[in-house]
Amino acid sequence: MHPDDDQLAQMIASAARLLPPQGPIDAFVAQNTLQGFEDLPFDEALVRAARLHGAQPFLPESFYRGELERGRIQASDLDAVLTADLGDRPGLALAGGRIRLRDLQRTLLIHGVRHESDAAVRWTLTENAVLDGDDAGSDLWHACVEASSRSRPSVVHVRPPLRHRDLILALDPTLDTDALVHPLLIRMTAAYLDQGVASWPMPDRQQGLLAAVAGLYSGRIGPLPPWCAGLPDRLHGIHSHGEPDREAYEVIRAELAALGVPATSWPEFIPLTLVALRGWAGMIRQFAERPDRAPVEAVPARLADFLALRLVLDRLAVEYAARCLNFRGPPTSDAAAAPLAAFCTELRDRHPPRRGAGSLARAFLLLQVARLTGLSAADIRALDDNELLELELSIAAFDSIARRRIFHLAYERRHGIGVLDGLAAQASLPARSPGGRPRVQAVFCIDDRCESFRRHLEEFAPDIDTFGTAGFFAVPMYYRGIDDWHAIPLCPLVVRPQHTVTEAPASESLASHRLRQAVRRSLGWFRGSMATGSRTLFRGGLLTSIGGAVAAVPLVARVAFPRITSLVTGGAAEYARSRVRTSLDLRRQGDALLPNGTQRGFDAAEMAAIVRRLLEDIGLMTSFARLVAVIGHGSTSLNNPHESAYDCGACGGGRGGPNARAFALMANDPDVRARLAAEGLVIPADTVFLGGMQDTCTSRVTWYDVDRLPGSHRGDFDTFRVDCETAGGLDAQERCRRFYSVPLDVSPAEALRRVQERAGDLAQVRPEYGHASTAVCIVGRRERTRGLFLDRRAFLVSYDPTTDGDLAILERTLAAVGPVSSGISLCYLFSRLDPLVYGAGTKLPHNITGLIGVMDGHASDLRTGLPLQGVEIHEPVRLLMVIDATTEAIRAVLERLPTVRTLVTNRWVRLAAWDPATGSLATYEPAPAGDRFVPYAPEQAVLPVAASSADWFRGHRGHLPLARIERGLQIERPVASEGHR
Amino acid sequence: MTEATIAVLHDVVATLVTWQLAAPAATLAAIGLPALLGRPLAERTTTRLVGAGFTAGFLAALLTLAALAARGFSAEVVHLGTLFSVGHHAATIELVADGLSVPYVCFSTGLCWLVNAFAGKYLHREPGFTRFFILLTLFGTGMNLMVLAGSIDVLFAGWEFLGISSTLLIGFFHERRNAVGAALRAFITYRLCDMGLLIAGVVVHHAVGSGDFERLFRGTWPDAVCLVDPTTALIVALLLVFAALGKSAQVPFSGWLPQAMEGPTPSSAIFYGALSIHAGAYVLLRCEAVLDAAPVAGWLLVAIGIGTALHAAVVGSVQTDLKSMLAYASMTQAGIILAEIGLGLRIVPLVHVVSHAILRSLQILRSPSALHDRHELAAALGGPPGAATFSILRLLPDRFGRCLYRIALERGFEDAAVQRFVIRPVLALLEGAQAAETRLVELAGGADAEPRRTDRDGGAT
Repeated sequence: MHPDDDQLAQMIASAARLLPPQGPIDAFVAQNTLQGFEDLPFDEALVRAARLHGAQPFLPESFYRGELERGRIQASDLDAVLTADLGDRPGLALAGGRIRLRDLQRTLLIHGVRHESDAAVRWTLTENAVLDGDDAGSDLWHACVEASSRSRPSVVHVRPPLRHRDLILALDPTLDTDALVHPLLIRMTAAYLDQGVASWPMPDRQQGLLAAVAGLYSGRIGPLPPWCAGLPDRLHGIHSHGEPDREAYEVIRAELAALGVPATSWPEFIPLTLVALRGWAGMIRQFAERPDRAPVEAVPARLADFLALRLVLDRLAVEYAARCLNFRGPPTSDAAAAPLAAFCTELRDRHPPRRGAGSLARAFLLLQVARLTGLSAADIRALDDNELLELELSIAAFDSIARRRIFHLAYERRHGIGVLDGLAAQASLPARSPGGRPRVQAVFCIDDRCESFRRHLEEFAPDIDTFGTAGFFAVPMYYRGIDDWHAIPLCPLVVRPQHTVTEAPASESLASHRLRQAVRRSLGWFRGSMATGSRTLFRGGLLTSIGGAVAAVPLVARVAFPRITSLVTGGAAEYARSRVRTSLDLRRQGDALLPNGTQRGFDAAEMAAIVRRLLEDIGLMTSFARLVAVIGHGSTSLNNPHESAYDCGACGGGRGGPNARAFALMANDPDVRARLAAEGLVIPADTVFLGGMQDTCTSRVTWYDVDRLPGSHRGDFDTFRVDCETAGGLDAQERCRRFYSVPLDVSPAEALRRVQERAGDLAQVRPEYGHASTAVCIVGRRERTRGLFLDRRAFLVSYDPTTDGDLAILERTLAAVGPVSSGISLCYLFSRLDPLVYGAGTKLPHNITGLIGVMDGHASDLRTGLPLQGVEIHEPVRLLMVIDATTEAIRAVLERLPTVRTLVTNRWVRLAAWDPATGSLATYEPAPAGDRFVPYAPEQAVLPVAASSADWFRGHRGHLPLARIERGLQIERPVASEGHR
Repeated sequence: MTEATIAVLHDVVATLVTWQLAAPAATLAAIGLPALLGRPLAERTTTRLVGAGFTAGFLAALLTLAALAARGFSAEVVHLGTLFSVGHHAATIELVADGLSVPYVCFSTGLCWLVNAFAGKYLHREPGFTRFFILLTLFGTGMNLMVLAGSIDVLFAGWEFLGISSTLLIGFFHERRNAVGAALRAFITYRLCDMGLLIAGVVVHHAVGSGDFERLFRGTWPDAVCLVDPTTALIVALLLVFAALGKSAQVPFSGWLPQAMEGPTPSSAIFYGALSIHAGAYVLLRCEAVLDAAPVAGWLLVAIGIGTALHAAVVGSVQTDLKSMLAYASMTQAGIILAEIGLGLRIVPLVHVVSHAILRSLQILRSPSALHDRHELAAALGGPPGAATFSILRLLPDRFGRCLYRIALERGFEDAAVQRFVIRPVLALLEGAQAAETRLVELAGGADAEPRRTDRDGGAT
């Protein structure tokens, strides 16, 4: 009995969860690569996912061993992890009580053993004659050989793979049916999903992938490769009717039956089939689930269509393989129904068995273990058969994956200790004493890249306070700037905005706006027609032969003089832009809904709620400074298909500047202030809010609506702008220490030049490192972390537990910050763990396809995840989230947030509580008896001290430990010349 | 101009021309030898050396151009040596500096310099860094050798350098199956078409007793006159056209080009956007006198060029990835250029080559910015630029349009046709030969000779 449509739909839906969650690349949002496995514990999920995707669950053992050697992992970490891992079995005795399991594993980890084949051992023995002679070593070796020859080498029974392709490949390594199917399937899928690269789109796309392909390929034109000669016959007669999915389900059922897959195996077979081309399958799923995020045209993609088409091609390829392998079906009538069933059975029967290690190899392994654990020849000879077997099994069970798992946990443990020790020490030292009304309060995104900017700002201008909050500043909106052709959502992925805000030119600069529009339009038209025209036959012939040489100017300029070129072009664009004064249409005008179903602008009550919410979140309810700056962020770079991965995650892969600007306007609005005052939140009359945007690639900040600042605040702003410029230079200097192509002794001014050149350089594949070192998320008051060097590795979320009686603020903060920060950290983690499967591999052969993603070269799977160049310096550790709250408060809030709780209990993030009153830390530990917080005992009570951040990082490329930066804790402003160093 | 001045000028040009070759060749040795000894140079040193090599070559070419201009661009033959000579037959190593070769060296060396500047940053920290620059200088040396060649033998040597460096750069990421397959595909096509040039060399040697172009045609380019009889001219011309088809990716040997975009972006730009794709056109321009003497070959060239241009324009319009699209765009123009040469034009195709190469290499270098550029364009135009890419093909009637679309998506059935009409028969032939051999061995008393099946021709790639 075959599953019905609903059951099939169910299977496809659960398979879909295993596909990469990445959407079209122009709005890249870092998410957990293994989202579909979140209901499993982290390390188990890693191993399961690795098996499904053919990935590496951890980094290679050599990496961890190198880290052990240089002290990044310490023996004490391995001990602690082993103790925790073995639970109640640490003392388990092996070899008749001569060794304990824990010691055996520890030895294997620290010293490592070589696994050699029988042949290699024999060769070594005969060629080198190392074990000749009659010394003790030789005796031990003979004892090991005797021991291992007491049992026969095992035959490991493996379950044959489920997919025909793997079965065939195991028999004949030259016959890969996926290599036949994929180029054709990729071509079809890419043509179907294309968002405007091809000038001639695929016909009939509205009918779905299966019907569109059937329409094209059911005719008999031209030769087809021999393996898919039967394609037109199979596709003939498939066309879309009323219920599009039904046709696909029919095809899936028929093909699976023809392939001889028993119905009980379908739930397993379908995910395997989809995952074989997971990038493209995942993109089909994204189009099906989020048509609103399609860059241009939301084609009606369905995963069932893709699966049906794939199975049709798979079956043809398998039939071809059967012909190649000279398979002739048995002459029974049953086989006529599913001729491949018998083939499949035969393939399974012929699947080669795997032999265990031979006796010499085992003897060699035993010899190494005996030497490392101090077993003598007599000990070995004294083992009875059971003891020997148990010892050998224990060694075998602690295989590469098991060892790497322990190594990885130890690697993360050491990182955690470094951070928690620093925090504990910081808490025990005197905090900065409050120094009256701050000069400026600056609100940034929580982004780890803002950490260094904030720190430098605080160091250079100690009378400034900074805050961190999700970079859409509580203003979810569709936004259309004067340069945008349509409104784009600026808010986290999970939020659907209810309001649209438009930027409009101010009436006095309408003329310059029109002029600028006209110039831009004609330049755009020229560039566009050069680009498209040069590809066509007639126009292209004329253009390339007559006008092509004009391209020599941009070619030489861009390649040979990238900085000057981007300065000139960027400067010209900026000048033109600066001539146009604009304003945001923020206030609600009329109640009519816009075509996209949203309100135009916000009314005063909504604005007051937004302002109140943000100020509550960051704990800024009293003692406002004269100037409150709200600064979003974005990133500009050339030649970077992954550009949007470096924009603001809280803005859904967009730039947070407009949100900052909107927030400042709202907070300055007299109506809003009056409403807030009525609710008890009084913002002094002399407090002015100002919006800005920080470019994380060029380290520059641009400001909005400066001309609307009251004259009284001009001076405050001018000083603050200079502060930000200085902080930008120091920030650039700190970023530059990471780039291998920049000398370590670069000055802030030179560093600024370098980072600005990188942003505009066509040849630069590392414009910035993005979140590439992210590891920590601290939710709490800035006073507690101020003056702490966090190495651009921490998300800093402002949260004040003292004003959060009912924990509502913590709840909404964690609900937003938990998934976002863990998504970013896990995306980087997996892209680094296996850059080829989870990451996008090296950027160099990347080829933009359909404006939705990148392929390697001309026909590969869509590469999801982050490119190697973006994660090469990343330390793959899970996010360590430290919350400035009591353990009870955190427990209570987790109870209310099931998604975050799953992440925590399944260890996708590490969690620690930082007691608001005592400053003591407690780590969240999962245990079979029930998860609990365990008080944390610091290893090192001393925190290194440096005068300034630059003193601490100068001369170092790698990750740096936490340090106390004295200048960040001063109240007095340092002498300017010192800061400008 | 006195005899003495002419002699001095000759010496100067000879030295400069040698420099144009020696500079990249010396760089090749300077970065290749340490790598061979297992101690590759630092990244910065490598790019600086390569940059210096191309700069020297470029300056030498500029100076040569000045010296030549002083003499009205009459050809200057530089004799580097003789491989061997038997009676009146000789294989000499000759270079020629004239109004075609020297400007072309300026252009190609300049592009190589730009690509070097680009790749130094682009390949930073890439494991194959040194390998890339070795191949780039090998290519630069081969290109100059081919361009400056004064005999068909030297031309062939340069041509082969091009082929091997192109192959190895397509397969640059040799851990990936697709890349190696594409490299092999290109290599086989190259080797097949190289036979044309090789046989042409033999024919020329046979006809005039030497490979020197001086004996094949005489006069100032582009008005040289062919010196051999029309039959020989026709044979040589046809062979040269055949040779050009492979490197310039003309129908029916074009299938390798879109697949060749497997290497790093800068090598794709200089090979398939700029220089390698036009090598065929250059050879034909070099030997234009022979083409003039063989109008049939010219008409064949026009037919193939136009056919390729049409094929590539239609196939290119359905490509959904940027590099394939640019590959077909290059192919279209390469076809038009060959057709122009076939029509007897000389300056027009030369300008077209240079102009097209510059534009296309910029486009390929910029291709990873496509999303950025597109957003800017949409902002400037006030809407997605899709509507601007209007294609006449959209207007075709439904049924016919669908057929043509399918043909285009299948890349003109080129792969399947090659599979069916070339690979299969060749494999069948080989298998037959093997079977015959096995039978013979058995007949002769050989024991257990077991035939192995090789029927693996299903792969579409």
